[in-house]
Amino acid sequence: MRVLLQTCAVVAVPLLLVSCTGANAADPASPPMYNPYPSGILPADVTSETARVQGEVQSIFQQALAEANALPPANVTGQPPTQQASGYRAIMTLGKLMNYDVNMSALKNMACASCHMPYAGFGGPIPSVNLTMVAYPGTYHFRAGKRTPQRYTYSPYFPMLQLDNTANAFFGGNFWDGRSTGYLLLSPDAEQAQHPPVDTQEMGLPDTACIAWRLSQSQYVAVFERVWGPSSLTGISWPSNTEQICSTPGGAATFGTNVTPVSLSPVDRNRANVIFDHWGQSLSAFEKSVDVSPFSSKFDAYMKGKYTMTTDELAGYDLFKGKGNCNSCHLDGRGTTLSPGQTDTSTAAQVNPLFTCFGYTNEGLPLNPRDAFYYQTTPDSLGFTANPDGFGYRDLGMGTFLRSGFGSAPSPNAEWTSQAPLRDGRFQVSSARNAGMAPSQCPTTEAPGPYFQKGFFHNGYIKSLKQLVHFYNTRDVYPFPVTSGHCPAGTTEKVDCWPMPEVKNNLDMTVGKLGLTDLEENQIVAFLQTLTDGYTVPYPNINTFTGQCSTGGSASTQGNESLIPTPTLPPCSSNVCAIPPLPNPAIP
Amino acid sequence: MTRPILKLVMTTAIAAAMFSNPVAAQVPPPAERAKRVRIVKAPELEMAAGQLTIIRWTTNNPGGTDDHYGVVHYGTDPKNLNKTAKSPIRLNQGHPTTTFRVRLDDVESRTTYYYRVDSEESTGKSDGVKSPISKFTTPARGERTPGNPARG
Repeated sequence: MRVLLQTCAVVAVPLLLVSCTGANAADPASPPMYNPYPSGILPADVTSETARVQGEVQSIFQQALAEANALPPANVTGQPPTQQASGYRAIMTLGKLMNYDVNMSALKNMACASCHMPYAGFGGPIPSVNLTMVAYPGTYHFRAGKRTPQRYTYSPYFPMLQLDNTANAFFGGNFWDGRSTGYLLLSPDAEQAQHPPVDTQEMGLPDTACIAWRLSQSQYVAVFERVWGPSSLTGISWPSNTEQICSTPGGAATFGTNVTPVSLSPVDRNRANVIFDHWGQSLSAFEKSVDVSPFSSKFDAYMKGKYTMTTDELAGYDLFKGKGNCNSCHLDGRGTTLSPGQTDTSTAAQVNPLFTCFGYTNEGLPLNPRDAFYYQTTPDSLGFTANPDGFGYRDLGMGTFLRSGFGSAPSPNAEWTSQAPLRDGRFQVSSARNAGMAPSQCPTTEAPGPYFQKGFFHNGYIKSLKQLVHFYNTRDVYPFPVTSGHCPAGTTEKVDCWPMPEVKNNLDMTVGKLGLTDLEENQIVAFLQTLTDGYTVPYPNINTFTGQCSTGGSASTQGNESLIPTPTLPPCSSNVCAIPPLPNPAIP
Repeated sequence: MTRPILKLVMTTAIAAAMFSNPVAAQVPPPAERAKRVRIVKAPELEMAAGQLTIIRWTTNNPGGTDDHYGVVHYGTDPKNLNKTAKSPIRLNQGHPTTTFRVRLDDVESRTTYYYRVDSEESTGKSDGVKSPISKFTTPARGERTPGNPARG
């Protein structure tokens, strides 16, 4: 709050924006804290760290307001009318304002950026959460989701989700499970941005119309209408209880099954829907901009002949393409595989490879018993229970989405449903770009640091890039038929013991025994770090982290002190595993 | 006071200089299918421990769909390979060879199994590989083959 007041005092220049009072400073009555977690599941600093991030978010929000004030006057011209010269800048700025606006959550305490800060490559900003509960606390403390926040960077470049009949494989979409297909807005990224604000465990708005309502109350109405047209945000006849409804987190028993509790006329509902679409499109414009996805890494400079890789980085790149076979999924756009001593003289197939194949794969991650989702088995004060199945829940990723199953979103295409058994356990192949991004003052993800603790893969089981590469390298060298926390005496989990996969179906066998030496693993890590943006130009807001770095230990065992024993797992819940078409083979 | 303004100026300058991103990368189409797919490294038991067994072999790059499946037909009677295991792998279009690895999750301990291998595109179209029948014997419960590997 102090940060907010200071920044408001500095930046509240009365141009096209209203003052800082009100919207961002609101603090509606919160429901009683929800804490179903056994001791030790919530990190001890979760409250202070959440507040720390909120301060950072507010600071960048003020920065965005200043940028909006600095926009040149709009010059709409031509047919169709276009905002000449400043249109791109305007929509990007609008998206940035939205991204850092805490009012876009039910309790006005959480922005999109609360789980996606620039210094983490627009991934999770709280080291202790990344280390432990994995899923981030939502607007209603402490409901939480089930997966790690996926990095924004380059997400707008993913095409619409499609089942390619030639390859018989899914490509594109957004989210770990592909549930943002892009089928309406023709942009999975824009549709992705529509989910968290109305996710019960995230920003928690109970009705998509609440986005339109809160935007209409925001400090940047003029920016919105500059981009989307005069009166595009105003004119809806809002019921007098709109704010009361929108301040009640979704899932509350009082709503029943009603997903449109804000009572609007059909015309106004349509207007709110259009605004909701513009919300997603504006955010996507921001995410595609150079503020988020700038292609400014050492690797990009290398591709242009403006950076010479170190010996280890170059060796790592050769391994990435060769022995490690990483570029079979994390496509690097190059044309050859080199033998030792050869020089790459090929022409780049792509000048800006995204280091993803846009596909979905099951890498065999063990179930992570620290995931906050497993513990939300009792109702909160509003009568909402996130996960009635507890440890009976299994994350089948895309398979569950294709079944329109529990914990995902409805699939809009019945023709995909039969594909579910072939997609169980698969998650999106993220871009490798910015996996290693960390704040300026703790500029690595690797112990001994000073480092910034991240969580990798969908369930955050892996805690360093070293572990990530070692997992790919040795998953099938050190497999043990145990769950996490139960490796045999004499072994070290994540070093020479890998617990069994949460889901064995469709397990990818491209990796698992790569034959890399310890040095070669480190060289691949060195190469991965060349994919971090901010080399050719500073990465915007990389220096906004105000938390503490971690130090000490080894990247190989980083975070192992937080391992807890997985309880005896009940059978997979019927909510997940009994939805046709059934997983094949059956999931225990 | 000055820091946010500097930040703003810098951000704006960067954005202005770099707003036009290059064209989005595309996934390359499936590679041309190899005229003949042959085994260049014979199928072998990679490891066996408990109920998990992995068979691996290497062929020239078969081309076709990037998503491929290794296929193992196996059984305890060499004349009746009545079980089939498939595992997905992803071809690397830049690699001359492809290593297939297939998990068998339901084998019994101290049992000899006979098997042959094949591979297929994600559409189910076979690569036409027909290996001779090989065999492996699973270790006793609690043991693994090969023995405990060195820490790597």
